[in-house]
Amino acid sequence: MRSIRTILAIAVAGSTALALAACGSSSSETTSSTKATSASAISTPGYPSPTTESLGGKRGGTLEVLQESDFEHLDPGITYAALDYPVVFATQRPLYSNKPNSTEPTPDMAAGPPEIAANNKTVTVHIKEGIHFSPPVNREVTSEDVAYAIERGANPDVANPYLKTYFNSLEGVEQADGGPIKGIETPNKHEIVLHLDEPKGQLVADALVLPLTAAVPKEYAEKYDKNKPSNYAAYEVATGPYMLKNDAEGKVLGIGYVPGKSATLVRNPNWNPKTDFRPAYLNEIDIKIGGSEPVIDRQVLEGTNVVQNEPVPQSGVRLAAEHYKSQMDISPGGGNRYVALDNKVGPFANIDLRKAVWAALDRVALNKERGGEVVSTVATHFIYPTINGFEQAGGLKGPTGPQFDYNEHPEGDMAIAEKYIKLAGYPSGKYTGTQTVQVVGASSPPEKEDAEVVNQTLKNLGFNTKLTLVEVSTMYAKYCGVPKEEIDVCPNVGWIADFADPQTVLDVTFAGKSIEPVGNVNYGQVDNPKINKAIAAAEVVQGKEARGKAWAKIDDELVEDAAAVPFDWEKTPRLEGKDVHGVAMLWNEGAWDYSFTSLK
Amino acid sequence: MIRYIIRRLLWGVVLLIVLAVLMFILFRVLPTANPALLRAGRDPQPKLVKEIEVVLGLNKSLPVQCWDYLKEIFLHFDFGYSYYSQESVRSLIAERLPETLSLTVGAAVLWIVAGLSVGIVSALRRHSFLDRALMGGALVAISAPEFWLGLVFLFLFASDIGKFKVFPGAGSYVGLTSDPWKWFTSLIMPWIVLASGSAAVFARLMRGSLSETMNEDYIRTARAKGLKERDVVRQGVRAAINPIVTLFGLEVGVLLGGAILVEVVFDIPGIGELFYKAIQTSDFPVTQGTVLLGSMFIILANIVVDVGYAYLDPRVRYS
Amino acid sequence: MSTGVAELLPPPSGGGGLEFLDARGDVARSPLQLFWQRFRQDRVALASLAFIVFLIVIALAAPLVVGILGLPGPNVQNLSLTNAFGSPLGPSLAHPFGVDPLGEDVMSRVIYGTRVSLEVGIIGTLISTVIGVTVGTLAGFYRGAIDMVLSRTMDVVLSLPLLLFGLGLAAACSVRGCLKGLIEPGLGTIIVIIAFANWPYVARIVRGLVLSMREREFIEAARALGASDARIMFREILPNLTAPIIVYASLLVPTNILFEAGLSYLGVGIRPPTASWGQMLAAATPIFNTAWWYMVFPGAALLLTVLAFNLLGDGLQDALNPRTAR
Repeated sequence: MRSIRTILAIAVAGSTALALAACGSSSSETTSSTKATSASAISTPGYPSPTTESLGGKRGGTLEVLQESDFEHLDPGITYAALDYPVVFATQRPLYSNKPNSTEPTPDMAAGPPEIAANNKTVTVHIKEGIHFSPPVNREVTSEDVAYAIERGANPDVANPYLKTYFNSLEGVEQADGGPIKGIETPNKHEIVLHLDEPKGQLVADALVLPLTAAVPKEYAEKYDKNKPSNYAAYEVATGPYMLKNDAEGKVLGIGYVPGKSATLVRNPNWNPKTDFRPAYLNEIDIKIGGSEPVIDRQVLEGTNVVQNEPVPQSGVRLAAEHYKSQMDISPGGGNRYVALDNKVGPFANIDLRKAVWAALDRVALNKERGGEVVSTVATHFIYPTINGFEQAGGLKGPTGPQFDYNEHPEGDMAIAEKYIKLAGYPSGKYTGTQTVQVVGASSPPEKEDAEVVNQTLKNLGFNTKLTLVEVSTMYAKYCGVPKEEIDVCPNVGWIADFADPQTVLDVTFAGKSIEPVGNVNYGQVDNPKINKAIAAAEVVQGKEARGKAWAKIDDELVEDAAAVPFDWEKTPRLEGKDVHGVAMLWNEGAWDYSFTSLK
Repeated sequence: MIRYIIRRLLWGVVLLIVLAVLMFILFRVLPTANPALLRAGRDPQPKLVKEIEVVLGLNKSLPVQCWDYLKEIFLHFDFGYSYYSQESVRSLIAERLPETLSLTVGAAVLWIVAGLSVGIVSALRRHSFLDRALMGGALVAISAPEFWLGLVFLFLFASDIGKFKVFPGAGSYVGLTSDPWKWFTSLIMPWIVLASGSAAVFARLMRGSLSETMNEDYIRTARAKGLKERDVVRQGVRAAINPIVTLFGLEVGVLLGGAILVEVVFDIPGIGELFYKAIQTSDFPVTQGTVLLGSMFIILANIVVDVGYAYLDPRVRYS
Repeated sequence: MSTGVAELLPPPSGGGGLEFLDARGDVARSPLQLFWQRFRQDRVALASLAFIVFLIVIALAAPLVVGILGLPGPNVQNLSLTNAFGSPLGPSLAHPFGVDPLGEDVMSRVIYGTRVSLEVGIIGTLISTVIGVTVGTLAGFYRGAIDMVLSRTMDVVLSLPLLLFGLGLAAACSVRGCLKGLIEPGLGTIIVIIAFANWPYVARIVRGLVLSMREREFIEAARALGASDARIMFREILPNLTAPIIVYASLLVPTNILFEAGLSYLGVGIRPPTASWGQMLAAATPIFNTAWWYMVFPGAALLLTVLAFNLLGDGLQDALNPRTAR
């Protein structure tokens, strides 16, 4: 899922991760614990599900990783992308983290579960003893290092992307600009207390799995954080089993990370396995950046000691399916994909025109571009398989009833589309307005083809379109995430939740309150009062079953509103060499977890 | 002679300054996008954008910005920092220099050797079947786009997907120091593809020039005097190369451009690929630095060629 | 790109295309007539010319041609023409060149792609020729300071790595366009780049020709009769240079076609859904080992077109300079 940025959307209300522990453990259990129908919907017979328990392969060896794209940010305070996480989580230890097979936080740097005060306004975490920074810092990690890690997130030169979203209740965070934050207290070297001015203790506790909470040594990092923007990443130290190779001064840039070219992870000599749950079999991980995906696919499938760590394009899926079935892991629940339509301005402010696009769009064709049924499922609503609420929202078929006729023909139905265009006030059955529709998509396959199919569908409906294809990060950062640009159609957006609660799928992406001037993820600027009200109510619902039901109802309403056009529930394939026991991060669209992966 | 060299060098420096100004206009003034916003990365906070505007000096007037930019380049050889990876453009390019040098130097050798020998053979066997075949081939080589030629070569000869598994395919490049033999074999196809166009151009030029020379009076005289045919040809070739040498510098530019396409097709992690990625991510400092360095190289090549030419043919200096 | 620009410049010691001028005088034919007479005897060049005319007809009548052949339009998508994994199907009777990953007919797209290549090749060349001729004539005619400034400007442009520069400019303009939207990404940008990059080649040659021309007796005579500078340049000098200008312009066309293909291949040229050969080849790159037809046919079209223009250019040049004729 190239363009889905892993946004670790955390439940905003009180009910939480711990309640969802049942969904965790292993992939086979996840599948079997969901209802039978959805199990068949998500599993792909004949292909290995990602192994999620370490198989205890041999210790040692060097794993080669091939990836076409470069990392975005490896600084733990900035990183926020699926491709960065395998490196970040092999080198950094947040207070809590997800085991590869689970979405339940496990104490990592923390010594135990977070202690949340009864008034829900204080969170206390104890930190393990005996965790040390990698060279050249070497000293033991203290609670002050965690405090600094969070504080620097507010420094505009670091600019953590989610601090204000999840830690906004922290006292004094609104005024913070890198200096001490009033609400963070460190009574002793191994205890950190977070004081909140709103009763959002559970939300904050959940958010401690984010890499922002990975310790950063202040006396060492401060000088780098003064740069605009900070270049701490060029000198970053590790707390995890691995570290980016560096020199005596700690310089990583040009040594352990050569932008656009390579990254090298070596064992962190100061890592104490007794403090960690990671087995860390491998001695070294050599990451080669560059080249092109089809060539990489071939090299991995025919090679040894090598994995590929990006979503596999159609040609690779076909090659693996035809000749190397056992070397393609397919991870269920890889998120949803939809065509975002601008609900606020332009022609698609009209609900009937949105429904017309939905009716006309050939969703089967779109999925074929991504490699067909092996790796995709036609989406009929937004909550995707493996997420609580999927069945209640209609399962595979989606919500039923005559009012949903535009959802009933995955191959597209022009007659129904014309009906809605007429309803929108264009009696000819074709859109005859003069406005040119701006379509912005990603330029690499399969997104490029998706964008072209959507563009052609719009043209068939009578729209004048202007199609712009740009690199995927540009698409988000400069177009689809900036409401001011007034992009009418973004055919390539998607969302992946961090754990199985449906709120993390629908809240930030469709609630009116989450529209932002930049970095917006409510791509279609959906701001429907009825839906907003339902979301506000559902946020505080307690209990798994009830939450599933409440959010499934919102899902129905989004479909009824045709807020966007979902077309794919992804199953993410990843390729591994013949002799690799790849262990995948189920919570991170199946990316390999280097701390659990081993060689046969 | 020394005065001539100094004159050429001075003019080269002037050219470079003008080019740098042109680059400044091209990447700072023309694009509608705000550089600070590009530099700030994803989802920037407005505050950071403001700070970066100050750091980049965007609050100053354009001529002042331009002056600062020129000072950085010519006093410190500093091309700024990548918007994307924040590493200095200078080191990004330096890291990829070995790959691009391997590709272009090898291709240049092949271009000159193959181009001149084909041209000589054709000129000496004018209107023969061989001549026609060679010149026909040269015309096809000139007409075929490198990237397509590269794909066809991979399709036919790559050891992984080719119909005839002969040479290592795309993505097989390894550094010269880590495995010289692999380095050599992985570059065979890229060298051929990159050199073919330029070699064909030079074959045609050489053929034309040598045919003309062989009809000159002094060659006839030499023959009439009973000089051995081999020596006659040697003399003719030496004279015929002169007018072509000056075009060498121009063709270097063509070769550099082709190197981007060849690196992309064969997945060679050189400057071309860096440039290609930079284009996709609107990483202007990198694009700017690469174009400027490429221009410097061409200017230098032209000076070397001109000076060499002047050394061979003193008449040029006074023209 | 084997643009072969080096060939466009006359070798410094060579005559550079003035030979045919010596042929005027004793025979009572205009240089153009003489030129045409020689050209007519070159069968290869005539065949190339015929092929180019054929291409132009196809480009102009693309919808008609596609209709007659019974092919779907260039943007008609049909995903049923791909297999279960989304791989396109190969050549068949209904789709002689196969289809692309969207199920679009490759032959139909190749036919429409002719339009882009010829548009870029011919319009780009025309613009750069007009600029080049104007600048070259001014520099050659006035000499002195004007010549100095203009020639140095040419040197600056000539020392740019063309493809690098073109890519840079195209990239700079590909995010939001350039000059606040004056230059839009796509065909417009490419033509601007081509015009900018190529005029110095024409200008240099024209300057050389004008320099030698202005000393001739009939120019002196015109001047003595009180003709204005403009009149001398445009009525006396330029008509005599028509043939060499046509020759050099014809050599620029294939260069420009390849240039566009290169830019489109790297993703900064013509944008989808408009069909262009370079962009089709870019899309074919990830899948060419399973969909050879997607790489072979657009590439062959490109090769043949460029080859035809090169052969034509060769023929024209031979007709101009019989002494170096092959």
